[in-house]
This record gives sequence, C-alpha cells and structure tokens, in this order.
Amino acid sequence: MLISQNFIEDIWISVARVWAAFLLSAVMAIPIGIWMSSYRIVGMLTEPIVDFIRYLPVPALVPLLIIWFGIGESSKIAVLWMGTFFQLVLLIGDDTKRVPPEFVETGFTLGAKPRQITWHIAYRSMLPNIVDNLRITLGWCWTYIIIAEIVAANAGIGHAIWAARRFVKTPEVMAGILTVGIIGLVTDQVIRLAHRRYFRYL
Amino acid sequence: MSYEGPFLRLRQISKTFAAEPGKASSTHVIDSVSMDIEAGEFVVFLGPSGCGKTTLMRIVGGLEVPTDGETLLAGQKITGPDRRKGMVFQAYTSFPWLTVIENIRFGTKYRNDISNAEKQQVADYYLELVGLTDFANYYVNRISGGMRQRVAIARTLAANPEILLMDEPFGALDAQTREFLQSQLLEINTTERKTTIFVTHDVEEAVVLADRIFMFSARPATIIDEIVVSKHISGERNIATKETEPFFHLRNHVRDLMRAEATRTQELTEHQIMHSG
Repeated sequence: MLISQNFIEDIWISVARVWAAFLLSAVMAIPIGIWMSSYRIVGMLTEPIVDFIRYLPVPALVPLLIIWFGIGESSKIAVLWMGTFFQLVLLIGDDTKRVPPEFVETGFTLGAKPRQITWHIAYRSMLPNIVDNLRITLGWCWTYIIIAEIVAANAGIGHAIWAARRFVKTPEVMAGILTVGIIGLVTDQVIRLAHRRYFRYL
Repeated sequence: MSYEGPFLRLRQISKTFAAEPGKASSTHVIDSVSMDIEAGEFVVFLGPSGCGKTTLMRIVGGLEVPTDGETLLAGQKITGPDRRKGMVFQAYTSFPWLTVIENIRFGTKYRNDISNAEKQQVADYYLELVGLTDFANYYVNRISGGMRQRVAIARTLAANPEILLMDEPFGALDAQTREFLQSQLLEINTTERKTTIFVTHDVEEAVVLADRIFMFSARPATIIDEIVVSKHISGERNIATKETEPFFHLRNHVRDLMRAEATRTQELTEHQIMHSG
C-alpha cells in the first residue's frame, strides 16, 4: 500500500493542507501576537476573546466549519487555522512580554522608531522562541488534519485511514498512522537542526 | 543650532510614581531638583541605592516623564527618548544575536547623517577604542560581563549622541574589572569629551571619574551637596589618580558626607517605625 500511487497522493494532499494552514496561522499570529502585547489596551480587549475561542474544542467546530466553508479545501484550512491561530497568538504574546525592557529602551536611545524596534529588536530577540512555538504548533496541525479529513474529505491521509477502516484493513490503518508519525518526526528534526544552525549564539 | 543658557538644564524636576496594585501609596522619588550642566562636562550622580538618581537620569534620557518641571537639552525641551541622548544600562543590553562588531555597528543603524561606508568606519573606530578588536566576531554571550559593557559603551558612542547617560554601568562587575573599565572610560573621555552623566553609589568611582559630583539624599532625592572635583584634583585624570593625596582627602570627605546622610535616614526611618507602631 505504501507504494501505491493513491496513497502517495494522499500524503501530498495532507502535507499541502497542513503547511498552507500552518503558514497562514503563523503569518497572522506573529504580528497580531506582538501587537497585542505591545499595547496594554489592545491586549486587555482581545485576550478574553482569544482565551475563550482557544478553549473551544476544535472537533466540535468541524460541522460548523463545513456548513460555512463547504467540504472543499477551505474548510480543512479553517479547521487547522481555528486550532492553531488562537493558541499561537497567546504564545507569541507571552514571548513578546519576555523581551527585556532594556532592549526596547536601548532601541529608542539609538534612534529607532517604534516599528523598527518591533522588527529589528523585539522580533529578532524572541525569534528562537517563536520558532520553538511554531514547531509545536505544526504538531497540532497533524492532529487536526486527520480529524478534518476523517469527517469530510475525498483524499488525504485521514481519508485513507478512514477508508481502510471500513474494510477492516488494519495494516493500512496502521500504515497511515505511522506515516503521520514519520512525517512529524522528520519535520521536527529538520526544524531543530535549523534552530541550532541559525541560532548558533544560544 | 544656537541657544541661550547651559547645554543641559534641569528646572525643578519632581517625580511621583502613582500607586500600583499591591502598593498602598504613591512614591515621591524626586523633589524639585535643578541643575545646569555644561557641554563636555563629566557629571556624577552619587547617592544611596534606590534614592531616585537613576529616575532623574532616565528623565534626562526621555525614558521617564517628570511629574513637575522641565529638562532642556541645547535649549530644546526633552519630550521623549531619541538618538541625542545615548544610554548605557546596568543590565547587559548588547544583543545576543549579534557579534561584537555587529552590535557596535547597530549603534549607527538609525543614523542618516553618514553613508554606509562611514558607518563601518565608525564601528571599527569604536571597536578599537574599547579594545575589542580581537573579539570582533564573537557573539556577546561568549565574552565576559566587562567586555559586554564595553560593547554597550562603544555601541552608544557609535550612535553619536549629544549626551551620554550611564546608569551604574559597572555595578554588576567584580572589583578588578570595574577598575579596569573606569580607567578605560577615563581614556575614552579624554579623546571623546562627550557630555556625560554617570550614576553610581560608589564614592571612589564617583571621585575618580567626575568633573563634578551631585550628591543626593535618600528618597525623595534632593541635592544635598555639589562637589567640583577639579577644584580638588588638578591635572589629567587616570586610574593612578586613586593613589594621590588629594584623591584620598576628597574621597574621605565625600564618604563622610554619604555616611552622615545614611545615619540621618536611618534615624528618620526608626523614628517613623516607632511612631507608626
């Protein structure tokens, strides 16, 4: 089964969905998380909302998201996004709060504007933590994609697992699960390696 | 730019921090402090720990807003922090993701008065001035605390501020390193002649570095004495000045003043405790 053309396609489809949703989440959560922590008022207004949504069980939202987004690609992206964006925003917000205030003040006294302080100093200072958080978030994406694909999909690893279950093809179910594990392990190691090389100063 | 009056003027600065959750009342930290500082002067703020001298310096740096009074730098009112007021902190502020030379180069990043080629020259110049040429490509958490403070000083000077503000920059260092950095700062000061405010609670450090010392009382800070060091110790200053007769005399005098202030505050606190209990 592992070499079957269909299953290779399923893998690619799942990987593509995971990365699309993950990147969307990250690109939105990084600036918004920094923004929320940089201004007390923004944080006070948004944190309760984010906290509330964060605790909603993502699987319970799947039916709703299918109603809203249909059974195409957008509903899968929406499930993954719901599951990661709000968590990530809070993690990034916490990282922002840990930027030493002296770094920010140093920036001002060297003539940096607030936007430059955000991107040249605060963001750069927390980047190793951001990458760690992204690595963990990427793992959650794999949990949610399987759920989304089991509920409504014509392709993807989750769909393959579910289809195999219908005919009690236990080995194929196991193969699907193992594939997710292997993909997770490899990506994790690659990111860790990049972390070590890029943040050599740590 | 022409202006009337001294280079830096503090007019009746007062500062009260509002009450915060967990703290019962507001804190009055500075009480109506005025002073004039001339261009090129090296001024030391000396006072007991937690007396408000750092807050006063942060007001000059634009990082803190006074509750009352105003600060004028070259005739212009100080309203916020910018490149004109360079600051060196007690905490290590050199950026860990940059090497020594990149950190110093960062000081020129937001200058638009010089070209990129000149920025590199400026960075190289200050790298050499603080004696870190051999460590140019080291990340800053691979070097010692004393070296990190030298990086911070070089970075601040590379930004070419009009006034240099130093908040107990050697406070976290051991005695030997501290003395070495004092001598290096004296050398830098001879070549740069940058108007400087240096905050410390170390009498010896104050006397060896300063042209003029402002002594502060315990909180709320007021000026209890002003000592023109150059009146007592003449000639060029270096670390060997610490071994001279005039230095001993002045250091002992200043130490006595500090002790008297400490005793006064201690008695005052005991008095307050007795009467509040």
